[in-house]
Amino acid sequence: MGMPSIVSTTALDKRFGGIVATQHVDLDIPEGELRCIIGPNGAGKSTLFALLCGIHAPDSGHIFLKDRDITALPSFRRVRLGLGLTFQTNRAFHDLTVRQNLEAPFRLPRGGRSSTSEERYQYALSTFGLDTTSDVPARELPHHRLQWLEIAMVLAGGPEVLLLDEPTAGLSPEETLQTARVLRHLNDDGLTIIVVEHDIAFVREVAERVTVLHQGAIFAEGTVADITAHDDVRRIYLGQA
Amino acid sequence: MKYLALLTGPEDIGQSRLFWIVFVLLVLNFVLGPLWMSEFEASNVSYYLLNLPMALGLCLLWGYCGVLSFGQVAYFGIAGYLYGIIAGNMRGDPWGPLLGEVGGLAACAVVSAIFGYFMFYARVQRWIVPILTLVLALLLETFLGQTAGYQWRVGSVQLGGYNGMTGIPWFQLGDFTFFGYSFYYYVVLLVLVSYLGCRALVNSHHGKVMLAMREDPLRTELLGYDIRARQLAVFVIAGVLAGLSGLLYVQWGNYITPSQLGLVQAALPVIWVAVGGRSKLLAVAISAYALNWITYSLSSAGNQYALVIIGGLLVVVMLFFPDGIVVTLARNMNRQALTRLLRRPGRS
Repeated sequence: MGMPSIVSTTALDKRFGGIVATQHVDLDIPEGELRCIIGPNGAGKSTLFALLCGIHAPDSGHIFLKDRDITALPSFRRVRLGLGLTFQTNRAFHDLTVRQNLEAPFRLPRGGRSSTSEERYQYALSTFGLDTTSDVPARELPHHRLQWLEIAMVLAGGPEVLLLDEPTAGLSPEETLQTARVLRHLNDDGLTIIVVEHDIAFVREVAERVTVLHQGAIFAEGTVADITAHDDVRRIYLGQA
Repeated sequence: MKYLALLTGPEDIGQSRLFWIVFVLLVLNFVLGPLWMSEFEASNVSYYLLNLPMALGLCLLWGYCGVLSFGQVAYFGIAGYLYGIIAGNMRGDPWGPLLGEVGGLAACAVVSAIFGYFMFYARVQRWIVPILTLVLALLLETFLGQTAGYQWRVGSVQLGGYNGMTGIPWFQLGDFTFFGYSFYYYVVLLVLVSYLGCRALVNSHHGKVMLAMREDPLRTELLGYDIRARQLAVFVIAGVLAGLSGLLYVQWGNYITPSQLGLVQAALPVIWVAVGGRSKLLAVAISAYALNWITYSLSSAGNQYALVIIGGLLVVVMLFFPDGIVVTLARNMNRQALTRLLRRPGRS
């Protein structure tokens, strides 16, 4: 039997004016899974993340986190319940130092914090090689370190579900591989991770299961092998007949 | 130790031992000042100091939180007028001024909480905040300006229209009245407590969250914070600090006029904060003191152009030191030279 779901949505609809961003999305992410969400531009991937995090409110449908209906909760409450998100365009605090970035997230007081989440954070910090003693603002870091900084910052808050919106955008193949390794390790350690990604090589590297979004709806779902072999997916997304 | 760390933390200028030696010497200089200052000079120094709480509050709000208020003088005026009304009506009661002080600060807290609630919980865009806050100050100025005439009185105290409220009682605790040197010490103490309190605040965890909100409110919210409540809290603190300056002002000069809430006065705190460097409390404290001294010296020497000079200074600073003069100097100061200076006595 599979694990119980940690994040799920039922019939999630969102329109912006006349544009359908998501329609009837029924997502079900079991605890401890590393799920990739792929789809062509405009498929509704980032909107789905924004709905999960409470940046947008859905027109209808429900969102559950650990069986609790969080549809009406404000963003910060969802984060305190265990969601963590990195944005598609890097949103580490560029004018603050690495230390200030990492000190920013809400953390439970010592004692209330789980040792697992602290270990995950420390692991990411050391593997990403982020210098917390430097006085220079984060904007002077190379792009890949900024991407990593945002991931480490979110991990500092001790999330149970990590939502990453294109974490490898602009990274070199080596940096992408390094990111994949870290995510795999965190996932092996029990962290649930949902990744929106364009880079199919990266998806192959990390994902257990893949959800394909197309025109706001779930188009296909399955293992990486299933999805890459799926003719319709190849047609709409991979651009192959 | 934990509390000491809050004072020496990294979010304001000065962590080294040398800094704290200089700081203590400076405080000693203020404490021993009456040994070489006349009572009149001490009164002038009180005036340069009394605007510091308002400047520090604006620094917290603008420099650390990213929310510019152009109307901090509204709270300055609310506290000043309310103190005048309460203490004036309780003339003869030795605890009247203290009640006026508490009442003035409480009114600032309540008004800023209500006003801030509507701004922050409605999630108005940041650039609208300076306009809304300025409008509140100008509304109060206009209202108070038309309160000339006998019918505009509260109890026995006349509001006085554009001539303002005069004869406001000195501050008093029981039978002890604060004026001259005692008022000077009272101001030094309150300013010191305000500064150290703000410094502890920015080095606390809330201070780190303030910086994050300044940089990116949405990102901060998605790190688990109700940014509306956090911004509101800082807004109220800044309002109460501006109110404290207003109290000290009326206790110093025994009068207040609606022009204290006008456009020119509203611009001054913004200038003090911008010239020193809004990102550091100490920079703001230094520039607020220096600019008040310059303005006061120029205008008391009969110079009509004090405000023009201050305005010109703002333009120059914005052009050449966009981060503020003191902040730029502190950043470029040669730390090694300072360390050498500190070590020299022990080495020989």
